[in-house]
Amino acid sequence: MGAVFVLWAVATLIFFGIRLIPGDPAEAILGGPGSQASPEALEQVRRDYGLDQPLLVQYFTQLGRLLQGDLGDSYSLRMPVAELLGNQLPGTLLLSALALLVAWLLALGLAGWSTLNGKAAAVVASGLEIAAAAVPHFWLASILILLFSNTLGWLPPVSTNSADGLVLPVLALALPLAGFLGQVMRESMLNAMTSPFALSARARGEGETGVLFRHALRHAALPGIALSGWAFGSLLSGAVVVESIFARPGLGRTLLNAVTLRDIPLVTGVALVSALAYVVVMAASDVAERAADPRLRAA
Amino acid sequence: MSFAFRTPRRAAVAAAGAAAAVVLLAGCSAGGTGSEENAGEPVSGGNLVYATGDAEPTCLDPHVGGNYPQALAASQYLEPLVSKNDDGEIIPWLASEWQESEDGLSWTFTLREGVQFTDGTPLNAEAVKANIEHVQDPETASSTGYLALQKIESVEVIDELTLKLNLKAADSALLESFSMPWVAIQSPTALERSQEENCAAPVGTGPFIVEKWVKQDSITMVRNENYNSPPADAAHEGPAYLESITWKFIPESATRYAALQAGEVHVIDNAQPDSIAAAENNDVIKHLDAPRPGASNRLELNTSKAPFNDPLVREAFVRAVNVNDGVSSLFFGTAERSYSPLSSVEPLGYSDESLFGYDPAEANRLLDEAGWTERDTEGYRVKDGERLSLEFPVSTNQSIPAEQSLFEQLQATAKEAGFEIKLNLLDLSSWYGALAENDYNLVSAPYTKVGPDVLRILFHSDSTVPAPSGYFANLSQVKLDELDELLTKGSETSDPAERAALYEEAQKIVLEGYYILPLYDQQNHFLYRSEVSGLRALPTVSTPTFYDAWLNS
Repeated sequence: MGAVFVLWAVATLIFFGIRLIPGDPAEAILGGPGSQASPEALEQVRRDYGLDQPLLVQYFTQLGRLLQGDLGDSYSLRMPVAELLGNQLPGTLLLSALALLVAWLLALGLAGWSTLNGKAAAVVASGLEIAAAAVPHFWLASILILLFSNTLGWLPPVSTNSADGLVLPVLALALPLAGFLGQVMRESMLNAMTSPFALSARARGEGETGVLFRHALRHAALPGIALSGWAFGSLLSGAVVVESIFARPGLGRTLLNAVTLRDIPLVTGVALVSALAYVVVMAASDVAERAADPRLRAA
Repeated sequence: MSFAFRTPRRAAVAAAGAAAAVVLLAGCSAGGTGSEENAGEPVSGGNLVYATGDAEPTCLDPHVGGNYPQALAASQYLEPLVSKNDDGEIIPWLASEWQESEDGLSWTFTLREGVQFTDGTPLNAEAVKANIEHVQDPETASSTGYLALQKIESVEVIDELTLKLNLKAADSALLESFSMPWVAIQSPTALERSQEENCAAPVGTGPFIVEKWVKQDSITMVRNENYNSPPADAAHEGPAYLESITWKFIPESATRYAALQAGEVHVIDNAQPDSIAAAENNDVIKHLDAPRPGASNRLELNTSKAPFNDPLVREAFVRAVNVNDGVSSLFFGTAERSYSPLSSVEPLGYSDESLFGYDPAEANRLLDEAGWTERDTEGYRVKDGERLSLEFPVSTNQSIPAEQSLFEQLQATAKEAGFEIKLNLLDLSSWYGALAENDYNLVSAPYTKVGPDVLRILFHSDSTVPAPSGYFANLSQVKLDELDELLTKGSETSDPAERAALYEEAQKIVLEGYYILPLYDQQNHFLYRSEVSGLRALPTVSTPTFYDAWLNS
């Protein structure tokens, strides 16, 4: 029920939000820069796309279509939105999922290393995490291309479907996220290492590494899991930048083009799919949290 | 050379022979300018990767809508009736000869023989008729092509290869219009398909065929093995050397250049000034500078409201901004200052440098004379309690970063004379919105069209009337009967000398009235790897053509 409300709110906000910004979608449909649309052509486009109807009629028409699962046709790409999303979604999901995984591994690795290596390591790790979290995607992506493509020549600057093309975009998305996750994970890992159960484990003769893996890891994971739902949302917005820079087809790049072109059906479609993905991931992170934390299961 | 061939049929064959001679000459001269390197034998085969930074077309049929991204792609698979050579003269392409009637109200075109569209449909008079009707049909929703063919009233098929166009009024720009990719000729059989189908894979007579279009990724084009219709200035005959072209969309300019450096792509467009400067020091990357025709890039001064309704203030503004220093520093010497309303590639362009010199003292004097004598605490001039303030909406989709920086420098120099410039960076639709609401004093808007008739679109008072969308092209909002008359006459006069005189007079009025501040040509820079040979830009709207190009391994 909550999910349905979120989706309705998203569709409504997008519909009216886009109309509030000045500019005529009919003009945009006809090509934008350098072209001067004839009145007849604009009329035709308005009729074809129902833009000549009163705003409220357009709104309810669109809601009615959405209820039937019809996302409509994109103005700018002249294809059914559902088909477009079907083409673009897998690429973005793969990118986001890999970035989330890499961010987790990096954050846990750094947290574990700093926990085992004392005060100085903690300062270094914290500095790295803050720096990573503060880096904008745009800048990071450009630096990665400059370093790994232009200077070293190891990886392609354009992300094709090949595996090596995925490395830089995944890193560009994962590094800032790893910074965020690492901060909270290291904190609770340190707490766990000094807690009574860690003490008793050591008393039973368990080594530091064993304590870390058998006990502290689970504690460190908890805030990370809780944050992962939010993180996934931030990955989708990061994808807008990263997909454009690495010329990767995907949901983010689609959204950017669609907003620029006032492509209302396409913007709505991308927003709905993102909202849905967000809802699903939030639910999944809830479940994961319960699995990792027995206290929540009891409650 | 006149572009109207008032010759009987036999003589036209001689003209075609002369055109063939032009082919050879142009082949040599092209070798002298663009592709003197790797002057080895052309190699057949290979896949060339082109990366465009222009928007992805919404439709690959340039009749629909009609913008530059479509022209870029369509130049590889569609061909127009005529072309232009490097001297700006109209030369045969799909049409072998043409003739204007004495009164200018009808034109007869004869088509090249033995040409087929890639779906097997023959190129004939019926096919061209179907194309003109397709452009004019409101269902097609054509904008650029529609404007270009606006004066055509009806099309008569005389025989298999001859057709006659009847016009509503004489049109001296007709051949220039027919040279543009936005009215290129497509297979009438293919045009009968749905618009979706035709947008996805238009069928033409060009050297390449659209095979596949993966949205937001690339278009794949393959060689047309039966190709036999190159323009009169092409360097060879028969099919193209390249086996295929991958046309990639890479929106981010730094990535595009990185991909070129890495050898993942062979040619990029929309090369930015910093990349061009970097390429100068790179042995494997070459530069092709092909400014677009039509209007120069310029600031238009909105004369419909204060403060630019006062000619003194307009001149003061022009004298107050230091354009030259900004252009040379921000564009790394890749852009040349213009003093004309028309692009430097337009033979009829007229320029007057003396009107646009940077002169702060004169700017201050003019503002005093115009009554803007006081200054407020921030140093801006004030009159009757109003600050001398200018709204300047900038489209971030159309102005490259270097140009946006230039505008900031103009803002800084104008401040010294007491002008406040409010730069508003907007996305395209918001930018259109600001123009439609007359919410601007300054604006920079590109316009590409072959020939000086673009002046009529930009400065005729008819163009101040907004289309239903709110857009109008006469953004300086000049309304002068004298100018209207010159532009209308110019569009109807085919006599070259008279036409040139009319357009020169019109440009003088535009420049001397300080309706615009010319900046530079519309930037159109291509960078390509040295293994690419024979690349050139068509002299019509400066789109690249890969027909004569080959890859050295």
